[in-house]
Amino acid sequence: MILGAGALLLAAVLAIVILLPVGAIKLVRRSERRLNWQPNDDGRPDSEASPTQPHEVSAYLDRLTSTLSLPAADAAEVRAELADHIADSIESLEAEGLDREKAIRESLARLGSPTELGDQIRAAHQSTRRLLAGAGGGIFAAGGGFVIGYFTGFAIAIGVFLLGAACVGLLSLAGVRLFILEENQNSLINSLLIPTAFIFAAAYATRYAVRVCAGLSRRAPRSVAVFWASTSAIVFGIWAIFGLSGPMSWPAVVAYLCVPIVAFTAAFFRIERPLLHVSRNAVLAGIGGFLIVILGAGLLFAATGSAESGNTTLTTIAIAHTQGPTRGSLPPDAPAEWVPQGSIMGGGVRMADTGGDLYSAITDQQAPVSMATALTNWHDLRFEAWHWIVSSGPNDAFGADTRYSSPAVTLPAEVHPTWIQAIFHLDHLRDQGPWEVILTGIGPDGQRYEIADCGGGMNTQFHGSVWDWITAPL
Amino acid sequence: MDGKIRGQLLKGTTTLLVLTVLRDGELYGYEIAQQVRERSGGAFAPSEGSLYPALHALEADGALEANWRLSDRGPRRRYYKITKSGLGMLDAHATEWAAFSTGMAKAVGGAK
Repeated sequence: MILGAGALLLAAVLAIVILLPVGAIKLVRRSERRLNWQPNDDGRPDSEASPTQPHEVSAYLDRLTSTLSLPAADAAEVRAELADHIADSIESLEAEGLDREKAIRESLARLGSPTELGDQIRAAHQSTRRLLAGAGGGIFAAGGGFVIGYFTGFAIAIGVFLLGAACVGLLSLAGVRLFILEENQNSLINSLLIPTAFIFAAAYATRYAVRVCAGLSRRAPRSVAVFWASTSAIVFGIWAIFGLSGPMSWPAVVAYLCVPIVAFTAAFFRIERPLLHVSRNAVLAGIGGFLIVILGAGLLFAATGSAESGNTTLTTIAIAHTQGPTRGSLPPDAPAEWVPQGSIMGGGVRMADTGGDLYSAITDQQAPVSMATALTNWHDLRFEAWHWIVSSGPNDAFGADTRYSSPAVTLPAEVHPTWIQAIFHLDHLRDQGPWEVILTGIGPDGQRYEIADCGGGMNTQFHGSVWDWITAPL
Repeated sequence: MDGKIRGQLLKGTTTLLVLTVLRDGELYGYEIAQQVRERSGGAFAPSEGSLYPALHALEADGALEANWRLSDRGPRRRYYKITKSGLGMLDAHATEWAAFSTGMAKAVGGAK
């Protein structure tokens, strides 16, 4: 049963990842033959005016063509067909005895107003059935384009990041250090991968939709572009701002906010030109190049990363601080007489199921002190997460970040019979950087004191949607 | 017959006339107009302005197929060919027209 469901899921994923893009590419190419055809393709005539065509006839056909609003191939066919008709008619009327000027005027008069004729021919081409086919095909092509764009964007983003990392690695080997790939920079890269891929996906989806819809509904790309630009901007904009959740940073927020703008402009940008279609050899070369970049970057990472980690370990061991930790605005340590020696111990653990961080305090298992006894002197117990500074050298300050006068997050302690706890969601804290959680309480003298240090973490990587980020407390 | 009255009577018959002349073979636009005129002894001639919208609409509906090829007179022309669906449409139009014209003849004859 589970195996069957798994096979179905795999088949669905394969269909989306392979069949949808392949079908979309075929549809786009077929549409582009209609939208961007070259003169004399498929035995069809040139749409340009013939040099032997009388000026009145050319002017008539120009006015007619300007009202057609059809794909290039269809407009050229209509123009050529009517040019043939007019030429036959002039020849016939001349054979009946009319002079050329009168024959031209009579031939054009028989066809009637060029704008009315153009409107009628356009209406004949642009039936409701074709419009529905265009809308359906556009949605399908948008799906395929989205998948292609997503993978393309992801590959480009990875390639750019890897190339950047490779350059940094090479420079590092040469003794030039631009920056060290620290935790925060990795978080930034993580947060930028998805929006970069999404920007490409939205752009591809919109352009594929415009082309296929125009081709199937027999409309000029520009006439359907406004609809698809607006629809894509709304759909992808809502999706990007409210629907996508993941690692977030200011650059990622900006990238996500660019999605609706990119989706809108992609519908119009060089719309009369065919899309870039790469040959099979180019695709193979691209995949090969991508693998080489990944392997090269991996090797460089392996070489520079091991050296880096060795240095870090040595540096950590070598640190002997010349001064104590900064306390900033932290409450003072609780007087020893109110906290029986070793009676309360703090600690923290990340909760995989909720994504939060559980910080708790327990009485020392080795000490004969119960939680009730340990808390006798205290009330209004709470856990406080403070911005922290982690030093990288003996002369560097460390401890509480003195730029902050209050904790980033404060949570009341849940008191249980044998422990007290609070669950922090620091992944919804926009500021990135180390933090430390302490347990505080109001002592017998009415002052707040730090009772126990529960440890902390290296950064507060924000997880959530753009909307979560915007509405998150500062 | 007065041209204005004829034009009104011909309204809606362009499809039937076009499909009828194309039943016997492929023709291009100007030839279709000529054929209609010749077959009716000059009595009917679809407006050239309405001929092409009708041809393109029939093509969009699948009643006609069109392709470019060299004409007997030399230059390339867009030839129209009736399809199986077009033949069905012709039968339906012809039956409807026969019933309409018979009824009209009876009504007009009765009025005399």
